[in-house]
Amino acid sequence: MRPILLAGHERALTQIRYNPDGDLIFSVSKDQQICVWMAHNGERLGTYRGHQGAIWTIDVDPTSTILASGSADNTIRLWDIKTGKCLKTWDFPTAVKRVEFNEDGTKLLGVTEKRMGHLGTIVVFDVKIDVDAEQTDEKELTIVCEESKATVAGWSYLSKYIIAGHEDGSVSQYDGKTGDLIYNIPIHELNQQITDLQWSQDRTYFITASKDKTARLISAKDLEILKTYTADTPLNSAVITPKKEFVILGGGQAAMDVTTTAARQGKFEARFYHKIFEDEIGRVRGHFGPLNTVAADPTGKGYASGGEDGYVRVHAFDKGYYDFMYEVERERQNRLAAAASA
Amino acid sequence: MAAPQTKHDWADDEELDETTAATTTTDLPPPQKIQNKDGTWTIIEYRINDEGQKVKATRRVRYVVRREVVNPRVAERKTWAKFGDAAKDPPGPAPDTTTVGENIIFRPSVNWRKEAKDEANDPNAQAMKDKLRDKKVKCRICNGEHFTARCPYKDTMAPIGEAGAADVAAGMGDEPGAAGPSSVGAAGAGKKGSYVPPALRGGGAAAQGDRMGGKYSDRDDLATLRVTNVSEMAEEQELRDMFERFGRVTRVFLAKDRDTGLAKGFAFISFADRDDAVKACNKMDGFGFRHLILRVEFAKKAA
Repeated sequence: MRPILLAGHERALTQIRYNPDGDLIFSVSKDQQICVWMAHNGERLGTYRGHQGAIWTIDVDPTSTILASGSADNTIRLWDIKTGKCLKTWDFPTAVKRVEFNEDGTKLLGVTEKRMGHLGTIVVFDVKIDVDAEQTDEKELTIVCEESKATVAGWSYLSKYIIAGHEDGSVSQYDGKTGDLIYNIPIHELNQQITDLQWSQDRTYFITASKDKTARLISAKDLEILKTYTADTPLNSAVITPKKEFVILGGGQAAMDVTTTAARQGKFEARFYHKIFEDEIGRVRGHFGPLNTVAADPTGKGYASGGEDGYVRVHAFDKGYYDFMYEVERERQNRLAAAASA
Repeated sequence: MAAPQTKHDWADDEELDETTAATTTTDLPPPQKIQNKDGTWTIIEYRINDEGQKVKATRRVRYVVRREVVNPRVAERKTWAKFGDAAKDPPGPAPDTTTVGENIIFRPSVNWRKEAKDEANDPNAQAMKDKLRDKKVKCRICNGEHFTARCPYKDTMAPIGEAGAADVAAGMGDEPGAAGPSSVGAAGAGKKGSYVPPALRGGGAAAQGDRMGGKYSDRDDLATLRVTNVSEMAEEQELRDMFERFGRVTRVFLAKDRDTGLAKGFAFISFADRDDAVKACNKMDGFGFRHLILRVEFAKKAA
């Protein structure tokens, strides 16, 4: 496969998102720019200007109308995807590290940083998916993380729970309506922060990536650890691929240690694991720095990775990827085919 | 194809006779669409040109239906205008932000880790190392265990000559002018059935005529190997790695199909030093690479 290199950012990438149809890629970096790209040819559709600080996070609503971004300038902004116009700005006392729309796009959560005497919080806003609508100023819900600040968070299926990953390696489940803490379970090693949390397509389970060099597949309902993927490097991002039963992990030697290591030892590769068997099945090299974010095309045709090197690499899978199957999978498929024809 | 009606064509007669005669010039026959046997269509259209003459245009077209189902939402978004920093970009990917990277081979596999390790210390490389283990550096002048250039008798004795040229694998000096053509001839003729161009037949003597241009002009050619029967899946880097064992490789050219990106089956490898090329030629001819057996010979000069 020949990856498409997108060089729209001047600094390290922080997050990449595909829209649900898989035709647009949104990328944010520390250079205060949001870029939107056409996934099929890497054409840059536009940029969204307005943020005054590094942008940490981005999310797109299910209808690809509105974009939400959270930045180190202490704001969450809503944007009109089509024109690049800023629709709404919410101010906070501290930086915003993560935003996510719920399944139907009616609610938006934001994770704020713990700093300057402010505790880390998770805030929820009601959002109207309409470019012309007046967006509310009022927070619908504020969850204060008293023990350890949340680094990532997301909405489960039916917006029933808010799941948050914490700096101390634990994962919490909050009630999606009241914000009450239901569980807080240590999932990763103590004080190894959770760096990413991404959902399966039906949002019944999710994958977390952590600095403790593992990624874990966890069910949303009872926070049970379903699978563990062990890598040899701190992980910054993990994603579940649609169509094929794989997960992609991205990470690498921390940015500040990079100059002391060769590219080979930096482990700047995207790692593919089999979701069920937990085996590593391949790596894709290419970045010159650690991978900060990986995103899978919802149509299952490719993935994009963004690195500390400022590049986004968009990969379209080729035949070998689709053909790959474990022996047991192949046998099962043959059995089913035989049963169907009989 | 457009032909003025003034040059009356017999082929038009049967259709046109009545119509042209009966109607005025403003009245044109309806366009015709005829399906041909080979699946193409012939479209005949009539129009009036600037000089008031009736013009018949005949086109043969083939319709190819390529159906692509696109989500209507996606199709709509493809028509969106660019904005922000991209507003001034022309349609299509802008070269300053979007480039295509080098090809990456990614085939998921259960034991990829083991395979990667095997590639790192290629068993063939190991075998080659074993083979070369008892080869020693040999001086062409005194047969001592040093390079010819370092020979203490360099200035006082002449090279041993043909013996040295034949024993190329043992190492040679860097005087391509002296030993060049003869050893190429030897290498070429040494292989049964391989084509030896007239210029190189009969060893050095016959080749002398070609060398008028000076020894440097064709030095590159002398150190270039042609490798054939290369696997379709081969990559330039793999070839480079294989041939780098014998010396510094200055150029690797692997012919690839423009559309498919698959190798066409042959490659050219240029060495910095011709001696290395000779070594590589001898050692790599018949080498098993991927599923095929490589054929390595010296590149022949373009006529």
